[in-house]
Amino acid sequence: MALIENTKCECGHQNRVGTVLCESCGKPLDDRGDSKGLLEMRYDGVARRSQRVNPNFIDRIWNFFSSVKVAVYLIIFTLVGAMLGTIFEQESNFINFDPTTFYKDKYGQIGEIYYKLGLSHTYESWWFVLLLVMIGASLVICSLDRVLPLYKALSKQRIPKHMQFLTRQKVVYQGPLAEEGRDWVERAVKPLRKKGYRVHTEKSALLAEKQRFSRWGPYIIHIGLIVFLLAVLFRGLPGLHYDQHYWFPEGEKTKIPGTNLYLENEKFRVEYYSEDEMSEGFRKTGKVVAKLFETKAVLYECTANCDDPSKEPQLKEVQRHAIQVNDPLTYKGLRAYQFDFDLTPKLRSVQPVLVNQVTGEQYGKFKLEMNNPQQEFKLGPYTLELKNKFLDFSLNEQGQPISKSKDPNAPAFLFVVKGPDLPEEGSQFIYFPKQIDKERFQQDAINEKLGGLQNKLELDVQSMEDVDIIASSSYLNIRIDRAMPFVWLGLGIVMLGLIMSFYWQHRRIWLRIDEGILTLGAHTTKNWFGMRREVSSFLSAMGIEADEKSLENGGE
Amino acid sequence: MDFLEISRYGFMIAFFLYCASFIFYVVAVTGKTWKNRDPQRHERKWGRISFATSSLGLLSHLIYCAFRWAYSGHIPVSNMYEFMTFLSMMVMIAFTVIFLIYRKILLGMFALPIAIIIMAYAAVFPQDVQPLIPSLRSIWLYIHVTLAATSEAFFAVGFVAALLYLLRTIEFDSNEKSARRQKRWIEFTLFSIIIVVGFIVSVFAFRAGGYEAVFTQNKTVIDSQVQQDSTIEQQGVYHMPPIVAPYQSKAESVPSFLGMDRAWFEAPSWMSGASSARKLNTVIWALITGIVLYLLLRLILRRPLSKVLAPAVKGIDPNDADEISYRAIAIGFPIFTLGALVFAMIWAQQAWGRFWGWDPKEVWALITWLYYSAYLHLRLSRGFHGRKASWIAVIGFLVVMFTLVGVNLIIAGLHSYAGTD
Amino acid sequence: MGKARRPVQIIVLLCIVVLGAYAINSAVLGRGNDKPVVGSKPPAVKLLGLDGKVHTLDEYKGKAIVINFWATWCTYCVNEMPALQQQWEKWRDSGVVVLGINTGEDKMTVTNFTQQLGTDFPILFDTDNEAVRDYGVVPMPTTFFVDKKGKIASIQQGELNLKTLNEQIKQLVQTEG
Repeated sequence: MALIENTKCECGHQNRVGTVLCESCGKPLDDRGDSKGLLEMRYDGVARRSQRVNPNFIDRIWNFFSSVKVAVYLIIFTLVGAMLGTIFEQESNFINFDPTTFYKDKYGQIGEIYYKLGLSHTYESWWFVLLLVMIGASLVICSLDRVLPLYKALSKQRIPKHMQFLTRQKVVYQGPLAEEGRDWVERAVKPLRKKGYRVHTEKSALLAEKQRFSRWGPYIIHIGLIVFLLAVLFRGLPGLHYDQHYWFPEGEKTKIPGTNLYLENEKFRVEYYSEDEMSEGFRKTGKVVAKLFETKAVLYECTANCDDPSKEPQLKEVQRHAIQVNDPLTYKGLRAYQFDFDLTPKLRSVQPVLVNQVTGEQYGKFKLEMNNPQQEFKLGPYTLELKNKFLDFSLNEQGQPISKSKDPNAPAFLFVVKGPDLPEEGSQFIYFPKQIDKERFQQDAINEKLGGLQNKLELDVQSMEDVDIIASSSYLNIRIDRAMPFVWLGLGIVMLGLIMSFYWQHRRIWLRIDEGILTLGAHTTKNWFGMRREVSSFLSAMGIEADEKSLENGGE
Repeated sequence: MDFLEISRYGFMIAFFLYCASFIFYVVAVTGKTWKNRDPQRHERKWGRISFATSSLGLLSHLIYCAFRWAYSGHIPVSNMYEFMTFLSMMVMIAFTVIFLIYRKILLGMFALPIAIIIMAYAAVFPQDVQPLIPSLRSIWLYIHVTLAATSEAFFAVGFVAALLYLLRTIEFDSNEKSARRQKRWIEFTLFSIIIVVGFIVSVFAFRAGGYEAVFTQNKTVIDSQVQQDSTIEQQGVYHMPPIVAPYQSKAESVPSFLGMDRAWFEAPSWMSGASSARKLNTVIWALITGIVLYLLLRLILRRPLSKVLAPAVKGIDPNDADEISYRAIAIGFPIFTLGALVFAMIWAQQAWGRFWGWDPKEVWALITWLYYSAYLHLRLSRGFHGRKASWIAVIGFLVVMFTLVGVNLIIAGLHSYAGTD
Repeated sequence: MGKARRPVQIIVLLCIVVLGAYAINSAVLGRGNDKPVVGSKPPAVKLLGLDGKVHTLDEYKGKAIVINFWATWCTYCVNEMPALQQQWEKWRDSGVVVLGINTGEDKMTVTNFTQQLGTDFPILFDTDNEAVRDYGVVPMPTTFFVDKKGKIASIQQGELNLKTLNEQIKQLVQTEG
């Protein structure tokens, strides 16, 4: 574009630099008119906005992104980059692991190189995101640069076109007519309208056009992609995004940290396929397959005392849902997904009675909670003071009792018992609620050392009803994603654009009659086969037999 | 006879009808030049016979699908066998649609083998009806997989038409560099298809022979709980004579095959996965069988395969082939976007709470999408037609097949179906 | 059209640069989520103390704070408790607060434990794991050293011995607020 071109067409229209076909009459401007080749019809031959004579710095950047060639390169680089990321696992697949050694240990030298190159987090790397940003830039600039000129060109089309414009289309018919040009053109309107064309005539020239909207499809796709990319970008803004996994023990109201919501797992269950639900062949393999994971969940919102940890919060039920895989609980943008579960039962409380082993007398039934237990119990003549508890009892190297974790795997309670026949300051007594622990840790032997109560008193849980256990825990993924509607909106727009541009075609037929010779040219964005068939059927309705194949203009 | 049995018959009958219909298409195309025949009448008559046969095959295929669905209570796309069978059915549907638009019997001659190969490949996998695991129990399984398979079937038809174009325009007499390169690559494409056939043939041949070899592999695992090395014995069962043994393994039982009674070499250390050595072994057998098949064909025909096929495709106009290829891809692309990306995202959002997680299968679906969008941009805006566009469409199908099969076999992820070899 | 074009180009390109920079920045830094890092402000907490009162970090404004996440069942936490107590006694008059945040245990367990060890620095209960989440604590113990300006000076994961603890606190005191 270094030369200053003469962009004025013979019809008198002044075209912009870069115009391929005269904006007014359609005469090809690229050569001296001796070429017979097919016309370049993209964007109807108009100049892109950015094409200008002396591009400066900004123009150059603009031109770079407005080039489809660049866009295709960007797509290809992104594609190759995405491929590289699938060679080995990505770091984001793991929660707790050390990437510095993982890749080397698992894949050896190659793995280490992979990690060192940063390919273990390809999709979060600066160059991959940069590629996506550049694709975004290309989407915006390409569209801006083409859609406006195209819109202008299509909204003010001249009906009589230059002869070369017609004869150098891909579908062409030329032949003599017996009747007067204007009459023929008038007669041609009806069959074309019947085929859904909007028909414009001017003297003995005609333009028939349909489904122009399909031309906007690509730009709508691009707009949709931009909306999608922006939504994804802003998803990460603070406050718009929340993604955590928590355990919800059955029967407990557990706070969802960072919110004023509490979730209670009323009941968790796993259902397996029964044998008669399986096919014969599969039954033989002896495999057991889960059918359903379900957490009956109730969501509470805190209404008072929410911010004061010293008081009990006031809760109000706001939502109730049986969470299943594929069916999360939803409340005001918050979603709770079934993620995992643990079927290990855990003690919540026991209700033992105090038994005097000598007389056989029983005192009370008292509730001993694993967490935040009551500290003193009065049972008949006896007083039990809870001195210490060890939820996961063990002895350390010095022989002192400790708890190995905060889970009640092997709970033990240390009491000081006061009452008749006991020293005034009381005697120490240790109690293991689980029978298995009593034997494992030798409760009696410990008590003998502590205060010798093992033959006098006993704590006894009399029936299973007095044991309260958390049967299971459900692991839920709590998410808030305020940008999701925009993600879906973007994708919806993309789909609309795709359907517009691929399932409809912009078809145009031009014709002119000069001294008894009909010249017809037709253009479509895709499906030339259908275009030829339509032209052939139109001509035959007008009494001209033209084989579909004969309409094809070889060009070369 | 229960539903499952009916569906099995449906599968078998469909398979044989497809094979018959393929032969009829070949007769319809090549028979025109036979003596004492009116070419047009011959083509019309045999074209009708072959299309009728392939449609009957499709009907039988639909019966397979419907009865298996009725038996299992879910759409049969939940494992590799079901999915590949479904894909071949969709290829036949896509072919039927395109055929009804363009009426080119040549398409049949090339589309049928693709459907047959995919169907035979499906039969390699275990055919049990498996119960659906909770994450698959969703309406999106039906929508997502069906649409994805449909679009991929259209891409397959696009591939077939592109291959037709390339065969049609190949210049056998030219000795120019580009023409020679063209010949070489088309031959290579056909050779690759034969390798796939070789894989299927070798699997079925050794399965019919009931071959089984067993290896044990000692694997040192650092047990995190006891902080101690503990050795776990892993057994690898081969259904093909072992050329490659697992890394540091001991042969337990290796029946002799053609005098081969032990593995020739060991897999390298980085292929330490339980089944990766077995997969490598299978690949080697597929290559061997494929090469033998190819050489046999060359020996019988005494010409490159492309040269054998070229006269048969004379009947199609190259521009039509080009257009059909483009049209098929243009039909498939929006369906792919909707089925393999948008609906997949909606489902992922519902099942896992994230619409996109860079899982290998997801990434490869994106790669396929990017690839075809590059194709469309090149075609629409950069004027890629004919040869260049056809090559892109041919390679595109390779990308599709890798997304469907390769990812599952080589890279495991959330989509890993139960598979074999 | 000709006149409006240049500003449009500049605005579009500027938007792309700004959004692109933001995208790359958040992707590259976003890998560590929004956990507090050295130099950032410690997340606010509002927790019940062992003394039965509700405490927030604002109470210790202008003081250097050593925030230690611990539990009685965590051996390494237990091991470093005497060192923390010693440092608390040594530095409490120089404007240093040692704050133990107990993760998810009940009052009785903690009371017994502190009495047994004889510690008397303030202890808060993180019953609902709110602080654990906000501070992104994974292994225990994890200790955050906050200087007098209210910025995190360093984060230590794992057991601390007397010497390193002393040095860390000395640095905190030296950076006057």
